[in-house]
Amino acid sequence: MRLPRFDYLGPDTLDEALDLLATHREEAKILAGGTDLLVRMKKGLLTPKFLISLKALNELSYIKKENDCIKIGARTSIADIIASDLIQKQARALSQACEKIGAVTIQHYRGTIGGNILQNNRCHHYNQSDFHRSGRQACHKDGGKICYARDASDRCNSTCQSDGATALMALGAKIVLASKGHERTVDLANFYTTDGIMPFAIESYELLKEIIVPAEGGSSAYQRLAYRSAIDYPIVCAGVLLKLSASQKNIIDDARIVVGAMSRSPLFLAREASSLKGKKLTDTEAFKKAADASMNSAAAFAVHNVGATLEYRCVMVSEMVFRALKSAAQDAKA
Amino acid sequence: MSDYTIIGKRMPRVDSRAKVMGKAKFTADLKLPGMLVGKIKRSPYAHARILNIDTSKALALPGVKAIVTGKDTEGVKWGVFAYTRDQQFIQTEKARYIGDEVAGVAAVDEETALKALDLINVTYEELPAVFDPMAAMASQTELIHEEFPNNINIHVNIDTGHVDENFEKSYYIREDTFVAPEESYFQAEPYAVLARFDHDDCLEVWCPNGGPHMKSKPLSNSFKIPLHKVKIRKIAIGGAFGGRSEICPADYICALLAKKTNCPVKIVFTREENTIATRQGHAMITTHKTGVDKEGRVLARETTCYMDGGAYSSTGPIATSVPFLSMEQAYRMGSVRYNGYRVYTNKPIRGMIRVHGRGFACGLDTQLDMIAEHLGIDPVEMRLRNSRQPGEYTSTKSYVDSCAMDETIHKAVEASGWKEKWGKLPPFHGIGIGTNSVQTGFPMGIRGGSQSFIKFNEDGEATVMSGVVDNGQGNDNMLVQIAAEELGLLPEDIHLVSADTETTSSDPGSYSQVSTFVGGHAVKIAAANCREKLFEVASKILKVDPGNLAAKNRMIFVKDNPEKCVPIKKVVRVSLLNFNSVNAEGGYWPKVDMKREWVSNPYGQMCEAFSFGTTIVEVKVDPDTGQVEVLQATAAQDVGYALNPLVLEGQFEGSVAMGGQGGMLTEYHEWKDGRCLNPTMLDYKLPLACDMPKIKNIIVESLDPKGPYGAKEAGMSIAMSAAQGYSAAVSNAIGVHMDSFPLTPDKILAAIKKKKSKAD
Repeated sequence: MRLPRFDYLGPDTLDEALDLLATHREEAKILAGGTDLLVRMKKGLLTPKFLISLKALNELSYIKKENDCIKIGARTSIADIIASDLIQKQARALSQACEKIGAVTIQHYRGTIGGNILQNNRCHHYNQSDFHRSGRQACHKDGGKICYARDASDRCNSTCQSDGATALMALGAKIVLASKGHERTVDLANFYTTDGIMPFAIESYELLKEIIVPAEGGSSAYQRLAYRSAIDYPIVCAGVLLKLSASQKNIIDDARIVVGAMSRSPLFLAREASSLKGKKLTDTEAFKKAADASMNSAAAFAVHNVGATLEYRCVMVSEMVFRALKSAAQDAKA
Repeated sequence: MSDYTIIGKRMPRVDSRAKVMGKAKFTADLKLPGMLVGKIKRSPYAHARILNIDTSKALALPGVKAIVTGKDTEGVKWGVFAYTRDQQFIQTEKARYIGDEVAGVAAVDEETALKALDLINVTYEELPAVFDPMAAMASQTELIHEEFPNNINIHVNIDTGHVDENFEKSYYIREDTFVAPEESYFQAEPYAVLARFDHDDCLEVWCPNGGPHMKSKPLSNSFKIPLHKVKIRKIAIGGAFGGRSEICPADYICALLAKKTNCPVKIVFTREENTIATRQGHAMITTHKTGVDKEGRVLARETTCYMDGGAYSSTGPIATSVPFLSMEQAYRMGSVRYNGYRVYTNKPIRGMIRVHGRGFACGLDTQLDMIAEHLGIDPVEMRLRNSRQPGEYTSTKSYVDSCAMDETIHKAVEASGWKEKWGKLPPFHGIGIGTNSVQTGFPMGIRGGSQSFIKFNEDGEATVMSGVVDNGQGNDNMLVQIAAEELGLLPEDIHLVSADTETTSSDPGSYSQVSTFVGGHAVKIAAANCREKLFEVASKILKVDPGNLAAKNRMIFVKDNPEKCVPIKKVVRVSLLNFNSVNAEGGYWPKVDMKREWVSNPYGQMCEAFSFGTTIVEVKVDPDTGQVEVLQATAAQDVGYALNPLVLEGQFEGSVAMGGQGGMLTEYHEWKDGRCLNPTMLDYKLPLACDMPKIKNIIVESLDPKGPYGAKEAGMSIAMSAAQGYSAAVSNAIGVHMDSFPLTPDKILAAIKKKKSKAD
């Protein structure tokens, strides 16, 4: 398939990139690896006039510890994150998630963490060629008025299948969005809209610059399910974070549960996680209950649009959350 | 056993270096001066009447050189058999599946061609569509093809007699139904075709194929030009697996565009087109009813199979028969009745595939396991009691000469540790066995034989001409090995001219597993004839009887006195000095029953040899996710004789990947109203190298008396039996006999839960 025509812009600095974004806005897209963007362009799903490549912006490729935070430049390659001891020790879920993204070659040569967070939502009715999408009405995400994944839906139910975003949300990450002369920091959990047409609350002139991961202790884990061992998006995934009580090391003081690949965005399940407060690390019954509750909550959002069966994916939410909780607890004990 | 020099040796393939270095040229790589880009306009509707096609806007687009529609085809229709000619190359009346060809465009570049496709305005009237064979048979709406009532395309009926009385004699009878959806080939190379008419009005075509002569004949018929004017050229091919055995409408459209523009035209399919608009494997609903005696010997079997054939006939009669034939070859049965129905639906066209009838075969083996369980017989013993033996006739009256089925079972059992594992593995670990048999060739009438020509060049090297095509399995290497062995040369001395219809004689093609048996055989005979001529000359030089001579390493020598020798090069030159060129021909025609026909007379000698394979698989199932980890696959096949064990092992491994790991665990299509939702490699879950289990290859040799060096079909019995082995292993691991394939985690988990709730 052919890539539609576009102008390639290769800024040398972040400021230049922000200048270009401010000028071209909706007409431009950021190229940060291209493993998601170029595939969608080939299918004719978007035809940006300009691609602004972050290739030369080495200033956005870093992993550093500052105070109680790990700061990651948005253009950092997936391979660098996997290789980072710091992330492996203090943000394990992210490390585990990155290991599952694409395949080793994609992690090494192309994929970036920023690109993974901003990978567009997917749906097997939408991520198709022009030919496939002809001969039937356009869906919401394609500029139409119907949804093939859920009858009578007034909005797009495309699914966010980002491994990185699910893990980062579990870790309580924030992201820094830069625009010309301005920067804002948002909680990743608040970064999503409620419509799959444009799943991210980001302006066309903004650029994802940095990811800030709190590293105040606690242990995290990420679990995902796919059909293949590589080059496969998750059909269900879960990221969890357990923080232990300062006084009693085997008691959970706070927990976060995030379920991914089941909805328009990773689902931050605060209520389900709060049931774990005060529970022992060895209380697998409590884990099971929280996992089942997560399944019940996530099931309401899910549609059959990324392969496997809907019923199976729902059941697997519970299993992935349970496994992630057990793994995080195991890690905490060690 | 052998004192062969080159045959039977582990030799790297002659084509592998060019392929791994990216030097091999595939059709999509070709460029000719003045070449145009061709694209095909396809129906976006599953079933629709074509009311009007307006090409005026597209034709007005600068850069568009020609547009062809059904009006340009003079109504020619294609079908493998005279009674299955149901497909126009470009539709004029109606479109029957999403992807059906309605027009073709040739333009100066791809961008222009794609724009032109959008500018062709086709007015359709949508018709009710059916996507399921059972619904299609019961449908009251417009038939997909007027002349086929109930949308039944093909009905194959085989009845050996005495079925009902043998059921009555049976000690135990079971009837079970098994289902499996369609599947796709995902050849590494998407389909492509380049066509041009030369200054002599000869049509020259490059395209991946399962046999160049199977392409030239229909093109000659369609364009009403003599066969010699259609020149299918040799080109590197990235896989076929049965899906490239027929002419493709794109071949015709491309040639038509080339004719209209008087320029070379190239069409390269997208991955989506390769998936939906070439061929797919049939979806099947199969009911096996089997009656056995107390010892588990099959007395009677009745099988009914409904196949979703998609929009057109394709290889319908063959496809409707082969799943049954494979099983009647593999297992003895007292009597059998088979009814196979291939039903039209508004889905993509189905054809032959390497694992043809995964649900059919797995169902039959699963049922054998169920019967064995009921009777308290070990699955291995169950197979040994029913396995095909040499010297027998199949139910449809094919004589089976060489057959080492039992040896494949015994060796696979031994190597897999079956005896230590069966019934002794921990919970959710399982082991299973599958056995199968594949034909070495189909009855193909006058096109069933192959002929080869060999000529010696003055430098002592030889040019070998053969119609055999290599579409990935290593046929080129096979021909070179055989020629080098017979001529006493080294492989690098052989120049192969093959798979070109201008320079080579008719050949049955590679898709009926017959390339070595027939095409290789022809080369062997031609080379032996050529050697005779060399010996005649050499006998005069060495002053010995030609019968005392042998050839090896570029030398001809006296058998019992190898010191006495002469270089082949010298022999050739001496012959030329005596006004005699050194060349020869040789042909091989398999002795099959020429009266056997797929539908009208499905009895008689099918082919001269059958291969037999056993695969034993050991798995571990995650009881909480239903995901399967394959610990080991042990594959044993009776290949007659292994001409090149290195290539053969590659075939075994590819077979386990396609038949087992992919075909049984992850590969299936998702649909919405006849639209394929996963036509790409990202979404159709082919296994990756890192998904593959450890594979133990066991080559069993039965030395077929008719095959060249004793060789016969090699590899496909593993693809088929791997599917059965995978399914049996999973069933064994979870304690439920599965009846719906592939065995995806959702089905496995549901079966585990169902079993658990029953137990509670």
